[in-house]
Amino acid sequence: MADIEMEIDGKVVSAKVGEMLIKVTDREGVSVPRFCYHKKLSVAASCRMCLVDVEGAPKPQPACSTPVAQGMKVHTQNDKAKASQKAVMEFLLINHPLDCPICDQGGECELQDVAVEYGSDVSHFSEGKRIVSDSDIGALIQTDMTRCIHCTRCVRFGLEIAGMMEMGGTGRGEHLKIEPFLREGIQSELSGNMIDVCPVGALTSKPFRYELRSWQMNSIPSIARHDLVGSNLFVQTYKGKVKRIASADNDWINETWISDRDRFSYEGLTHKNRLLKPQIKVQGQWKQVSWKVALDYAVKGLNSHVLKHKKANQLGGLVSSTATMEELYLLKKILTEVGCDNIDHRLNIKNLDNIITLDSNIKLDALEKIDYALIVGANIRLEQPMINHRLRKATKKGADIDVLNVMEFDFNYPLNAENITAPNKIASTLAGVLKSIMTNNVQELPNYLATIEVDEVANNIAVKLLNSSSSVIILGEHIINNEDASAIANLATIIAQSTNSKTLNLSITANTIAANLVGFVPQNSGMDVNTMLASEMRGFILLDIYPQHDFHHLETVVKAFTPDDTFVISLNSFKDDIITGYSDVILPIASVYETSGTQFNVNNDMQSYTAAVKAPDEVKPAWKILKVMADLLELPGFHYADSTQVLAEISHQPHTKHTHDGHINFTNKHNGIGVIWQNSPYSIDAVLRHSSTLQKTKIGQMNSACMNQASAEILGLSNNDKYLGVPVVITDTVADDCVFINTNHAINIQEQA
Amino acid sequence: MISTGAKKQIDAWIAKYPKDRQSSAVMQALKIVQAENGNRLNADTIQAVADYLNMPGIAAQEVATFYENYNHKKVGKYVIRFCHNISCMLNGADDLIAHLENKLGVKTDEVTSDGLISVKKVECLGACVGAPMFQINDDYFENLTIDKIDKIVDNLK
Amino acid sequence: MNEVCFKNLTKDQCYSLKTYEASGGYSVWRKILKGQLTPEHIIDELKVSGLRGRGGAGFPTGLKWSFMPRHSDGQKYVVCNSDEGEPGTCKDRDILRFNPHAVIEGMAIGGFVMNASVGYNYIRGEFMAPFYRFEDALKEAYEAGLLGQNINNSSVNFDLYTHLGAGAYICGEETALLESIEGKKGQPRFKPPFPANVGLFGKSTTINNTESFASVPEIINRGGQWFADVGVENSGGCKLFSVSGHVKNPANFEVPMGTPFKDLLKMAGGMRDGAQLKAVIPGGSSTPVLTAEVAMSMTMDYDGIEKAGSMLGAGSVIIMDESTCMVAVLTRLAHFYYDESCGQCTPCREGTGWLYRVLKRIIDGNGKQGDIDLLLGVQDKIMGNTICALGDAAAMPVESFLRNFRKEFEYYIKHGKSMVKG
Repeated sequence: MADIEMEIDGKVVSAKVGEMLIKVTDREGVSVPRFCYHKKLSVAASCRMCLVDVEGAPKPQPACSTPVAQGMKVHTQNDKAKASQKAVMEFLLINHPLDCPICDQGGECELQDVAVEYGSDVSHFSEGKRIVSDSDIGALIQTDMTRCIHCTRCVRFGLEIAGMMEMGGTGRGEHLKIEPFLREGIQSELSGNMIDVCPVGALTSKPFRYELRSWQMNSIPSIARHDLVGSNLFVQTYKGKVKRIASADNDWINETWISDRDRFSYEGLTHKNRLLKPQIKVQGQWKQVSWKVALDYAVKGLNSHVLKHKKANQLGGLVSSTATMEELYLLKKILTEVGCDNIDHRLNIKNLDNIITLDSNIKLDALEKIDYALIVGANIRLEQPMINHRLRKATKKGADIDVLNVMEFDFNYPLNAENITAPNKIASTLAGVLKSIMTNNVQELPNYLATIEVDEVANNIAVKLLNSSSSVIILGEHIINNEDASAIANLATIIAQSTNSKTLNLSITANTIAANLVGFVPQNSGMDVNTMLASEMRGFILLDIYPQHDFHHLETVVKAFTPDDTFVISLNSFKDDIITGYSDVILPIASVYETSGTQFNVNNDMQSYTAAVKAPDEVKPAWKILKVMADLLELPGFHYADSTQVLAEISHQPHTKHTHDGHINFTNKHNGIGVIWQNSPYSIDAVLRHSSTLQKTKIGQMNSACMNQASAEILGLSNNDKYLGVPVVITDTVADDCVFINTNHAINIQEQA
Repeated sequence: MISTGAKKQIDAWIAKYPKDRQSSAVMQALKIVQAENGNRLNADTIQAVADYLNMPGIAAQEVATFYENYNHKKVGKYVIRFCHNISCMLNGADDLIAHLENKLGVKTDEVTSDGLISVKKVECLGACVGAPMFQINDDYFENLTIDKIDKIVDNLK
Repeated sequence: MNEVCFKNLTKDQCYSLKTYEASGGYSVWRKILKGQLTPEHIIDELKVSGLRGRGGAGFPTGLKWSFMPRHSDGQKYVVCNSDEGEPGTCKDRDILRFNPHAVIEGMAIGGFVMNASVGYNYIRGEFMAPFYRFEDALKEAYEAGLLGQNINNSSVNFDLYTHLGAGAYICGEETALLESIEGKKGQPRFKPPFPANVGLFGKSTTINNTESFASVPEIINRGGQWFADVGVENSGGCKLFSVSGHVKNPANFEVPMGTPFKDLLKMAGGMRDGAQLKAVIPGGSSTPVLTAEVAMSMTMDYDGIEKAGSMLGAGSVIIMDESTCMVAVLTRLAHFYYDESCGQCTPCREGTGWLYRVLKRIIDGNGKQGDIDLLLGVQDKIMGNTICALGDAAAMPVESFLRNFRKEFEYYIKHGKSMVKG
């Protein structure tokens, strides 16, 4: 677009032809009041607050919907502009309650702010004010619709961003009411953003209701730690407690949105099950002790069970993917120093010879510019809400999206083809895609493709990939334990290379990339997690592990940790009976927002954060505990004053990088029913599982073992039964030979047995 | 919820609009469904229309509450929609409405005890040169007088 | 009188295809189908005719049609606005009932000129009899091979459908009407973009009033100059005036532009019961009210009425005699706008309710000193600040009633009762 020159309040500025005036004034730092305008939403031009005087126009013009032109002269402050702005302000206030002191939005209310500047001291309105009844719209958002100024940001958010129209404006005129349909409540996984976009106190955070005034809180920038995105956010704190989370802008990562998961998980921090003090088990009895006693006990135990006997090869270190990069590094360093190579973070993989190695080589903001995506094995909307949002934007610009899944899931955009297939057919379908592509490219076929049949599904996908100029292949969590996981990942890589496509690996989660970078995997000839669990070990150091959620086969895990002569040091944030059952020392560690650290997102963006609050009671950040343990073990090189020194040391280390080995081996002969077992979206880590409000939502309540009628008959199950402790749901949306489990419950040993 | 006959009528409206623009038919679909469900809409019927037209329930609800022709409360078999805008007012509509209310023993927005008739005061119906006037269901009645109203109403069964 | 839209009014079955064709109907359309007329020619004739939009805004129709990007790619639409609802207005209903084929032919001509192969006639939801009449006419036209695809092998396509409203005055605003056809609430769109660029279903669209479309065939048939000569300078042709209120014979009259108001009043039988004329709203409820004195010396054309201090609007002439309480009338109108505001933009949503409440309070005998200034202040704050014209339409009557009949309002506030009715 061509550049033009125009005048704003007498100052000459340059702009692009046709861009909206408000973008120009914002860029130039000229303050124009607004309510309905939001930079990430479509223009409504309905609040009329941004009216300004444009020379030559008889009426005042709204800055949000007036395209600029060469030579345009705009006055934002003259009598005409001011008169309109004051008029609109007065109209907005006549039916708005003037009870800011008791409103939850007080102090961060756009209406309040603008009223101070543009409002009048005296209201001429002496008729009765409008009162609007409220309805319960769900657990997360509190409504007070009498305060609503009908800006429709929440309505447009639903339509344009969440991809589901939930709020609407019913009635007309003065009776226009912003509300969802019926009493269904709000369901979107991004719904909390409505709180952020609402300029007034009509939509506020329900868990935060009546807690505090915004100005009483500190606002500390931080990073969301529940998924591979690392959304930027503000942690709002008061007297050392996290009180609320608000989104922060980062156009390359989360734009201005955050998922409900990231917004409301903080509630878990104050759950009654928080571990608050160190404790040791002496002769079968748990005792709360001081840190000194606990750490001495831990070090003594390690020495007496393991190190004294020079049996470091019978010590194991396991971590969950939620650990910070610094924690991962320090634990690895301790274990390496004592001569232990048995470390692993890949807790939920059944067969570690069959793993996914797939690069992610597309940026998050580039995802919305693709013209084709193939999603394999993901309920992407709930598993990766922010990444799904980017894909949704791509579809709005015309991108086609195909899925290859074991079950139909809810998508908030139209799919080109939703291919539902059994887990054991995914590899052969992708092989068919590759064969079709190679045939098209007149390439010599490798042996493993010789007997592959190219069906219509494979052929259609191949055509799409060949004809797209910017495509991406996305691999999701459901592939992790697929019998052909490695083959699927390698096929994806080769297909991408043959079609100039990008790949995105969403089979991993949280800080897994950091775990891979610091190399928290077996070193030299060390044991992997599954080998450790099957061996007689003398000791374990377990960081943030909850076996009944993190592993598939609980019984094996508990059996490995429990023997009397196996000394187990557990670092956890939450109490748990299973953990107390096998541990010898339990050290309470800081949870999210309570520690400094570093997170790697799917784009390899390294994001460090500081602690927003001090951990409660005697709880300490894990990196500090590990450092002190190292000191007590008299290990060299642990002189860190803070975690940034740990990070500085890491950045000087060579990184381990996995690439696919090009070896493809699949038999296509697996029989029987494939089970995909997954924690439901709000149960993927300990903090989330303790976030009481999230658990009340429909997504939080997800707990089902879905299968079709044929599979149910094979397994001898019907609708009211349980499968692996999870209620059976028979639905024809699941492929043959597949059970898809989404659970918010722990695995129970008895049910397994 | 939506009868086969009603679906056929709705389909005829859908056919008037471009492909994938079936929600253009929502206004008529709501009217058609209202007509076969006791002359009023409720959450279930609105949702059924939304589902049939593949649009969000709230979008159908917006339409159902924005336009005046939809009934959300109980109405009579015959709805007398009495214009009380300027031309009718100048020609004595207010007195005639009072007469009608008296005659039927109901106030506006109420239904006679036999469920037959309800009266609504409405804005201009676009028959100003025939003022005063009212509409009963689809039909207009113009140049009303007390006698004329009595005759019309007495014939409603 | 009655030369264009009402040409066949007195004939038997005036609405039938037979009657319409017998009086020259569809001859323009048939010439088009034979390739004997060009879009440029039609636009030129319309420009010469001085036809201005009959829905109220008075924008020159020929000019409007020339704005359509007829050579651009993609579907284009013509839309007829038969959502008649402005208090005092009831002319389009009669055109639909008595001359539906003129609307069809006018729309078809428009479709040809603007390269739009699909048209929609938006009829207000309450007009069921006119709707059925129009649908019958459509059926006749299709059966006669006048509409459809590749009509008479002319390679001209034109399909025409009706869309029925469901009760919302605001849908008479052209962009609200488009929203309504799209199955949404009738909330006006902000402009730009204008419908000629982004209209119905996002495509280029021209919207004209029923009377405008119905006038087109006769204008092209008899020539733009003929039509222009019927009227006066700046107001070509004849126009339908709906005369209602305190007159002996309220009716629609199609008379030449420039006809003196007092002649029109005479046509309507004069004042009822020999009463004195007190006030006239000349163009529908939104247009400023005039005193009898001013009205009696005015002519019925765009400039004449503007000179008198009001607007021609849709030609809806509301006559009020000396017994009329102006406070009551204004309160009634204020309620109308309050009820019909779509609620989307702030000044109208909040301002129309405010105006109505103050007036209601006055009518109920609870007026306060300062209420008149308050009303003037509120209407001034609505004026010019809204997305569409409904805000101004709600504001203008307030200003003009208070200016012309201020004493009645002062009396009502002071005494708690009407100066006129006692």
